[in-house]
Amino acid sequence: MVVNTSRTARRPKRKKRIYHRRKVCRFCADTSLVINYKDPKSLKHFITERGKIIPRRISGCCAKHQRSLTHAIKRARTIALLPYVGSVDLH
Amino acid sequence: MRRYETIIITDPDLSVEQREPILKRVEDVISQENGYLALTDDWGARKLAYEVKKKQRGYYTRFDFCGTAATVDEMERFFRIDDRVLKYMTVLLDKNADIEKIKEEIASAQKAIETPPEKEPLSETQIPHDAAETGASTTPDTPITSAVEEKQPAEESADAEPSQTLGTQADESGTTSSETTEEIK
Repeated sequence: MVVNTSRTARRPKRKKRIYHRRKVCRFCADTSLVINYKDPKSLKHFITERGKIIPRRISGCCAKHQRSLTHAIKRARTIALLPYVGSVDLH
Repeated sequence: MRRYETIIITDPDLSVEQREPILKRVEDVISQENGYLALTDDWGARKLAYEVKKKQRGYYTRFDFCGTAATVDEMERFFRIDDRVLKYMTVLLDKNADIEKIKEEIASAQKAIETPPEKEPLSETQIPHDAAETGASTTPDTPITSAVEEKQPAEESADAEPSQTLGTQADESGTTSSETTEEIK
């Protein structure tokens, strides 16, 4: 009984801690940004240091833009503008 | 007619004369199939993200052309055979391209380059934007900027929010990416 009451008392506090700021898709926010596979410098922000594509839950992109982003990154990899694995220094 | 874009990576050690036959061959293939080569774009030699045929650098050339599937097939067959071409990639840009329209586009684009003062109206629209912002922050009741201000608040709030969230978003993605890499190590 005592345990039960203490749990219910804690819950609202925990919910507050988990709260995250709502992320906004940067391509929706600024429509002037274009996703282009020929521009590895801008795509670089959406891959990790090891060359992995950053997931949507972290990058905050909407489904539509994440899809085109993934597509662009994969094309850039095909033509050796971005690495499949490992880092690359873009000057 | 379809519009394609082909990027080829050639050996960076080739001289201009040695590279010429490749370009010539591409033009020939396109004209054979009644296509139209709209643009050849030389990016020059740049570092590759990974080694291709033991080469660290590559010479990028982009072709923007109209053609059919047969054109692409023939071109890629040639690239595969030729040792000087390290890598190639063809992307479909438009399924129903009109050659005449593309020609017009290119002509208008060239005109725009020749007559650069088209950019001026853009900068003019930006100036009142800045003026209204500074005016709103310092003296909100000045009669001069009030006309412009009426439009501003809605736009400003819309602009300001995403930019704020963007900053934090970038931070978060940065930290998380480093975290994941650490985990792997």
